[in-house]
Amino acid sequence: MTPDSGIAGKVAIVTGGSRGIGRAIVELLAREGADVTLFYRDQSAAAQEVVSAAQAAGSKVGSEQVDVRDSKACAAAVDRVAERAGRIDILVNNAGMIRDNQLAAMDDEDVSLVLDTNVGGVFNVTRAVVPHMIVQRAGKIINLSSVAGEKGGRGQTNYAASKGAVNAFTRALAVELAPRKITVNCVAPGVIETEMSQAVRDMAGDAVKSRILLKRYGQPEEVAYAVWFLASRYADYLTGQVISVDGGFKME
Amino acid sequence: MTQTEVTKDEIMAVYPKVAETMADALGCDVADVKLDVSLIEGLDAESIDFLDMVFRLERAFKIKIPRGKIVENARGDLPEAEFEQKGIVTEKGMAQLRSYLSEIPADRFKTPMKVVDIPRLFTPETFCKLVVHAQREAPAA
Repeated sequence: MTPDSGIAGKVAIVTGGSRGIGRAIVELLAREGADVTLFYRDQSAAAQEVVSAAQAAGSKVGSEQVDVRDSKACAAAVDRVAERAGRIDILVNNAGMIRDNQLAAMDDEDVSLVLDTNVGGVFNVTRAVVPHMIVQRAGKIINLSSVAGEKGGRGQTNYAASKGAVNAFTRALAVELAPRKITVNCVAPGVIETEMSQAVRDMAGDAVKSRILLKRYGQPEEVAYAVWFLASRYADYLTGQVISVDGGFKME
Repeated sequence: MTQTEVTKDEIMAVYPKVAETMADALGCDVADVKLDVSLIEGLDAESIDFLDMVFRLERAFKIKIPRGKIVENARGDLPEAEFEQKGIVTEKGMAQLRSYLSEIPADRFKTPMKVVDIPRLFTPETFCKLVVHAQREAPAA
């Protein structure tokens, strides 16, 4: 007998949900019976595809076009979800991007785009969601970090700084929201086979694989299951943590 | 921004709903939410409870209350440097506070008062005034 994960009927928001890891998270939570709204920035065709496929399978998935860098747009989109669904139980801050380069060769945009999306976006969406969770006295916030947040990687100062910030944000917010029984955790993926990591995988090739204890890249679903766990009632006693899903990635 | 004095009638018009909302947020009996009780000392409110109350009041009255700005509102037009020095409210600041929090008995304004201790003064009436101000700014449709 499989015990109830508690996810069925929960209202979830997943940012960056049209592709890669985000899509896998949307699909998994929806399959478990959650009412999921995915936020996407510009991949409307991909977002529509996720929504249509989920709806065809009988799941409840909708979408909102939101640039997470825009705090007003985030607040409006979150309020629309709350207005429609009546509550927000799960937030997965997954939207993120990379702009790898040697620090000295980075231009302003390489820095601001990555920090504004990966850190600013987490602030903007979470700030809009938290009031709902505080009033509900319940909620699960799951942030997608990265192995780069804790381990050095060449050409990733912007991305590493952004993910280190997400880890710190997670720990601080966990303290702040614990009195309201809202948990805040991170999932830190290693190298996962997605479009976003394609360039890294192409560039580094087997050199990266040799540093992964399990000698292979991860699949988006393998990250999604960690998010699923943190969103489930099995993780009710877990907060302020960074869970690595990286196949055992060794330090450089 | 100078705000016109809120009348007792205006306060009493919103008080029952404010009290009910605050009791929900604090998990206490609505009868305990007396108009002049200190929320922190009398009802054990913590900082997150203030946010909770603001969010609930926004929903209950369909208004927008500037978040985390209660102390700033209390400061009014007074520049920060004149309102407080090294975290202690100045004499001018105390006068401003007494006028903004006119519902609070004079003996609760103890000096020297730290800025971080201002929320200790807040009572349900303070929140009733916030609601009335918010209603005046954006009357319910």
